[in-house]
Amino acid sequence: MTELLNSIAKMVELGKINKDMPFPPELKGKDGASELTLKALKNGIDPKDILNNGLMPGMSRIGEKFARGEAFIPNMLIAAKAMDAAMEHIRPYFSGGEIPTRGTMILGTVKGDLHDIGKNLVKMIMTGGGWNVIDLGTDVEYKKFVNAVNDHEGSVVGISALLTTTMLNMELVAKELHLIRPKTRIFIGGAPVSQSFSDEIGADGYFRDPYSLVRHLNEEHSI
Amino acid sequence: MKDYYYKRSENFEPDFANLLQVLKGKIPDRPTLFEFGINNRLVGKLSGQAKEDTSLRLAPFKRLIKSFVNAGYDYATISAWRTNTLSFPKGDIDSKESRSLNSGNMITDKKSFEKYCWPDPEKGDYDIYFDLGEYLPERMKLVASSNGGLLENVIDLVGFENLSLMYMLDENLTTDIFNSVGSSLLRFYEIVAPIETIGACIVNDDWGFKNQTMFPPDMMKRWVFPWHKRIVKVIHKAGKPAILHSCGQLKNVMDTVIDDIKYDAKHSFEDHIIPVEEAFDSWGERIAILGGIDIDFLARSTPAKISQRSETMLRKGLSRGGYALGSGNSIPDYIPDENYLAMISTVKMI
Repeated sequence: MTELLNSIAKMVELGKINKDMPFPPELKGKDGASELTLKALKNGIDPKDILNNGLMPGMSRIGEKFARGEAFIPNMLIAAKAMDAAMEHIRPYFSGGEIPTRGTMILGTVKGDLHDIGKNLVKMIMTGGGWNVIDLGTDVEYKKFVNAVNDHEGSVVGISALLTTTMLNMELVAKELHLIRPKTRIFIGGAPVSQSFSDEIGADGYFRDPYSLVRHLNEEHSI
Repeated sequence: MKDYYYKRSENFEPDFANLLQVLKGKIPDRPTLFEFGINNRLVGKLSGQAKEDTSLRLAPFKRLIKSFVNAGYDYATISAWRTNTLSFPKGDIDSKESRSLNSGNMITDKKSFEKYCWPDPEKGDYDIYFDLGEYLPERMKLVASSNGGLLENVIDLVGFENLSLMYMLDENLTTDIFNSVGSSLLRFYEIVAPIETIGACIVNDDWGFKNQTMFPPDMMKRWVFPWHKRIVKVIHKAGKPAILHSCGQLKNVMDTVIDDIKYDAKHSFEDHIIPVEEAFDSWGERIAILGGIDIDFLARSTPAKISQRSETMLRKGLSRGGYALGSGNSIPDYIPDENYLAMISTVKMI
């Protein structure tokens, strides 16, 4: 049983979606995350075990590798695809098709900025780490963040920016959110931002890579 | 009374030999400036012509050259996006102050690849590079660049996330796309590099994000670097230096850039990745280092601090050679003019 879960984790980490997929070349023709998950369900493994001890560790490992500079964004993308394929099989086993989560993150790229690579990366790792992510997209007005936080009580917020000019718009989001819901925790990311900028605008933290953020949050939130 | 916004000095004469010395890793005869691009408003101020006259073919370039001369550069940059030589149609891309690397979607599969209307580099208007000769001061040259680089253009056509999956799932299509873009860019540089008015070429191709290269080095070695190597070879064959402008964290591939591709100079540095002072210490003996005064620093610091940092870096560069002073990337509109002037006027102090 453990061996099968380890294999699922490995396939997610390597981004082996299914048997037909030619990547990675050394695993051509071998079962991927999709087939192995079906096999685990057939063997009677609890879907929650598959999620907690197969899929999430796989995403966690690729996230750790990314944080160490040993994996790259394409590796994360393909791993997320493998996890998604497997999730489709376990979703029906949860009440209403809802996978249990650690909490909700409201995520978006700040107003004026259309960059989405970093935001999407955070979404993948947070989802893979057991979070429900509400993706507001790019070029997001502060009011949309406020409305989303009002709609999802207790959610944390992630704001992304890539430009020196647009990162300044983060301050308004942080200010308005803290005005309405002072306990809302706001995390920022993106090429020009730093911990000192986070302190400057009253955000709750800056993380250099998404894995560090999810690890930080997961220490406080269990499924 | 002065009739100009800024001038390096009354008797300043551009001399490309200075930048050439820098690109060879040597100490130039005088402190040398380097900039890839300057925003249109500032070009207007520096040239004394606020508005660009587009009614005459060469007028915008004359204005650009004048601005570079007044600011104290030994060359002017001429990018292919201005010259109607080679550009890859991208379709409708949504953009504001920025745009998403995922916005490209012209090529998604073999069918759209075959349907795509590939530009013919032979059909570009290259006369402009010759014609501008009559407006260049005697020892001034142009530094030419293409309209985006290999990886940039492929990402614009395919989309970053699409390309991330495509190279793993469809190697043949990936190869076809890189070969189509790469061969066109190679031909562009083959035509442009030997032209008399061109002193050097910039190959502008962003490769990195904040923490690492966009793609794993193995992917870059297979599809990106071989074309860069060929492009640098044709530039060198024409007797001109090749400058790599590439943003992002390139630490893992700098040895390849220097030893294998054999670029003469590297441009684009960011403080949060590697400050130019450290880059100069790390690689400055093996490749010329250009610019590097961080854009965010230029935008948000004070003229006094900018002047101090610029002077320190310039003196450091002049002590060993292979350095020209400039920004970490280019001069966008949001950098206060007084901050830019604080940087470039440092050359007057030395």
